[in-house]
Amino acid sequence: MEAFDALMGGFAIALQPTTLLWGFVGCFIGTLVGVLPGIGPALTIALLLPLTYHVPATSMFVMFAGIYYGAAYGGSTTSILLNTPGESAAVVTALEGNKMARNGRAGQALATAAIGSFVAGTIGTLALTFFAPLVVDAALAFGPAEYFSLMVLSLVAVSAVLGNSMLRGLVALGLGLLLGMVGIDLQTGQPRFTFGRPELLDGIEVTVAAVGLFAVGEALYLAWQGRETKTGEVMKLSGSLWMSKQDWARSWKAWLRGAFFGFPIGAMPAGGAELPTLLSYYTEKKLSKHPEEFGHGAIEGVAGPEAANNAAAAGVLMPLLTLGIPTSATAAIMLSAFEGYGIQTGPQLLSQQGGLVWTLIASLYIGNVILLILNLPLVSLWVKLLKIPPPWLYAGIIVISTAGVYGAGNSVFNVGLLFVFGLLGYLMRRFDFPAAPLIVGLILAPMAEQSMRQALTISQGEWSTFFTRPLSGSLMAVAALLLIVPPLWKQWRHLQAR
Amino acid sequence: MTPVRLALLLLGVCGVAAWQLTVIPPSLMQMTVGPVLAPAAIVAALTVVALLYGLSAWRGRQVDLSQEAGQEALPGSTTRMLSLLGGGVAFIALVIPLGFVLPGTLCGMCIARAFDAPFNGKSLLICGLIAGVFWFVFARLLGVGLGPALPWLF
Repeated sequence: MEAFDALMGGFAIALQPTTLLWGFVGCFIGTLVGVLPGIGPALTIALLLPLTYHVPATSMFVMFAGIYYGAAYGGSTTSILLNTPGESAAVVTALEGNKMARNGRAGQALATAAIGSFVAGTIGTLALTFFAPLVVDAALAFGPAEYFSLMVLSLVAVSAVLGNSMLRGLVALGLGLLLGMVGIDLQTGQPRFTFGRPELLDGIEVTVAAVGLFAVGEALYLAWQGRETKTGEVMKLSGSLWMSKQDWARSWKAWLRGAFFGFPIGAMPAGGAELPTLLSYYTEKKLSKHPEEFGHGAIEGVAGPEAANNAAAAGVLMPLLTLGIPTSATAAIMLSAFEGYGIQTGPQLLSQQGGLVWTLIASLYIGNVILLILNLPLVSLWVKLLKIPPPWLYAGIIVISTAGVYGAGNSVFNVGLLFVFGLLGYLMRRFDFPAAPLIVGLILAPMAEQSMRQALTISQGEWSTFFTRPLSGSLMAVAALLLIVPPLWKQWRHLQAR
Repeated sequence: MTPVRLALLLLGVCGVAAWQLTVIPPSLMQMTVGPVLAPAAIVAALTVVALLYGLSAWRGRQVDLSQEAGQEALPGSTTRMLSLLGGGVAFIALVIPLGFVLPGTLCGMCIARAFDAPFNGKSLLICGLIAGVFWFVFARLLGVGLGPALPWLF
């Protein structure tokens, strides 16, 4: 009941015209970046971080939430009409969605994706509303040792589970942690890894790293390939946007199942949105009364994964808002935005900044409605955006990236660093290293070090504190299992195959 | 570049990081954990995973997506990359003396060139418009400090 009252307070603020306007702007930008290739929510939020000095925290986070949800909605449009997912979680949608579009049912595919996103996004937000206070209550028992172990678990999970190779994930994580150590040590005031450059004393800006890796890195890779000079084939928006009675009957259960896959997996460290969308797709394929349609444009194959994707987006906010632990690149950058406002994250966030958190959650409900309204009637506008020729699209993305980084501190050094990170992003893209562990490592490294030092100070230098305290020890054990079990499993399957 | 060379590059980074560890000044405060421990642990761990990556690459088990069918670079890849990076260098060199819009335009033109758009009046016009609009939205409407649009204006 307490959560409900707090949520109503959040609605009172979120429904104020100014906050609503920021939410609308966020949803619009989010859908735009979800639709456009080469630009995602993490990059967009990173670019908008310089605004944190000029806009009140509530408005800014409502806009960020709109961008985050909007990108999850917008990704489906490119999957369905262009067979090019705007973001990784929309890959599965392309399997059936593009086939539906080729069969002249693009309208119905877009409709089931949008309505499913609305339904699942709302279910996910409801779960966030009622489970977040419970997680906070549990987390208040955490000491520095438990926090350190939780961060280790998150870092290991993001690196070992995401991506195609644990080894490459761990290399990316190591680089991120190393970059997170750059700058003045907050406890002793000693400079580390600064090469004597005063510009590095404050550490490496998350904006510079994220924008360099995601925007400049992607542009460099595509320019190097030289295959992106023409826009792809955009399917015509044929057929009505209205779903038939049969379409509704085949979609609604898939939406609900997708939501129940998406939220819990999204809330886990490294759960992400890719796994639940895949699980949802295969479940729908298994349960469908028309399995022969899969691979040729089955509506359940769009409805389920799209719902799972949006519910996962709500799930990812759970560890961020309750524990201060980011489990994706976007969440990591949002965490950095909290730091930009001087807001301490973790379980205290809900008690100390309750107004902000509940307004943010209320804005998610409102954002779902805005996105449903935005997505379907404006679909022809989104289709037009897909026809922007790549030279102007990437010129725009890199100029806005450069402007964002330069504007954050009027530092040409940071612009240079942006292009260095771009080169790193190009190499990571080419050699298939995941970017999320690097970003999460960069942000969590100083926090993890701080918790480790506090825990060791309390335990008078006893390292066993991380393993003998029950909760901390359990978290460490799970982290160790995540590192050990997948390679053993792979080896076992390899032996079985022989 | 190959995965083996990338592994060597990574090991080079580890070497530089290890050298930087040695120049961290000792803490003047008595503490349980000093400023070197965490960075040293990270450098050690990164060295181990870089070595494992190198070993795996040497055995041919690491991927280079550019070797996959349909992913390889078309002729002129170095020129295109240099064009894109040149845009960044131009921006860095010119933004302080010339304000935001002219270097932004030149940067945009170089990037468009990297995607095979000719370096002509149309490119100048479109990139000028992009830089001008972004300057107006960021600097004027949102108050982000991008400096003057042009050196003789604002």
